[in-house]
Amino acid sequence: MTNSRWKWLLLAGRVVLAGIFLAAGIAKLREPWAQFAASLYGFKLLPDGSLETVAKTLPWAEVALGLAVLSGIWLRWFALLASGVIALFLAVLIRSYAMGLQVDCGCFGSGEALGPMTIVRDSTMLVLGAAVTWGAFRSRKPAGL
Amino acid sequence: MRTILLTLTTMLACLTQSLPAASPAPRNFKLTGSPSAPITIEVYTDYECPSCRNLYLAVLPDLTTQYVYTGRIQLLHRDFPLQMHKYTQLATKYANAAGKIGKYELVAQQIFATQSEWAATGSVDLAVAKILPNSDMARIREIVKSDAHLDDSVTADLAQGNRDGVNQTPTLVIVKGGKRQKIDGFVPFPILKSYLDQLLAQK
Repeated sequence: MTNSRWKWLLLAGRVVLAGIFLAAGIAKLREPWAQFAASLYGFKLLPDGSLETVAKTLPWAEVALGLAVLSGIWLRWFALLASGVIALFLAVLIRSYAMGLQVDCGCFGSGEALGPMTIVRDSTMLVLGAAVTWGAFRSRKPAGL
Repeated sequence: MRTILLTLTTMLACLTQSLPAASPAPRNFKLTGSPSAPITIEVYTDYECPSCRNLYLAVLPDLTTQYVYTGRIQLLHRDFPLQMHKYTQLATKYANAAGKIGKYELVAQQIFATQSEWAATGSVDLAVAKILPNSDMARIREIVKSDAHLDDSVTADLAQGNRDGVNQTPTLVIVKGGKRQKIDGFVPFPILKSYLDQLLAQK
């Protein structure tokens, strides 16, 4: 594949990856923070005292990460961070599913019960993140808009 | 003999007339709190839903004590029976029938508390009978059996729930200043408390 095609492929992947984070963050910010906190509570993972803080800050962090990936600045590292975040979320989802927890994913706002398709979707997102990260490290120069 | 019987009959009539009439159930027995409260929380529940049970038993008592009784919140219980629950409609009928005789909160509490007992067998009547006198149970059973309008409020609640986008229970709809905000699923009291405190602090 030519460098030009790699460049456009990486750009497309980057835009999609950024879009995922932006969509996730914005969907949560459109709802009361208590909604996301309730979803987090269901995962039985975080201390109760931290739920409000996480519920209020994580959506903004998702938006910021999405913008960072979209900008292309320090793409290798932000793509790596995005992939790490997806991997972490996926691990939590798998753990919760294995434990039989009936929870709301809270991934893109409320209303999505955790199920096999959630895990398949997030696994696909992880593959995308990994691909963008690999492409960014492979490129001689960071892809620009 | 005739005089004695007449006297006894008269006394019996007087005693019957002197018994206080049963207090009429409030017009909307599912609504508690001050009408002037700045926030109304509409709670959509299904009596056979375990998370609803947790909300009702673990969250609503503190919410009622700290926010409803202090005039800061009005609480409205809305029925949202889910099709997947076999006996939820029966439980709802019993709760609403109890409401018509002024015993809604007591019976709703009992229905949630004994959920694991009647959810398997449908023995809602048995569960409710444990806490009410026979006279009340007789009235409730009659209402469940013959009141053609018993489910009217449920129909209205379902319609409102669909307008609110309710697709699971429990769901809270927090109403302030005409704005309705929905929160799906079980919300632990500390989170709800913090959220409400922040909402109440807003002008």
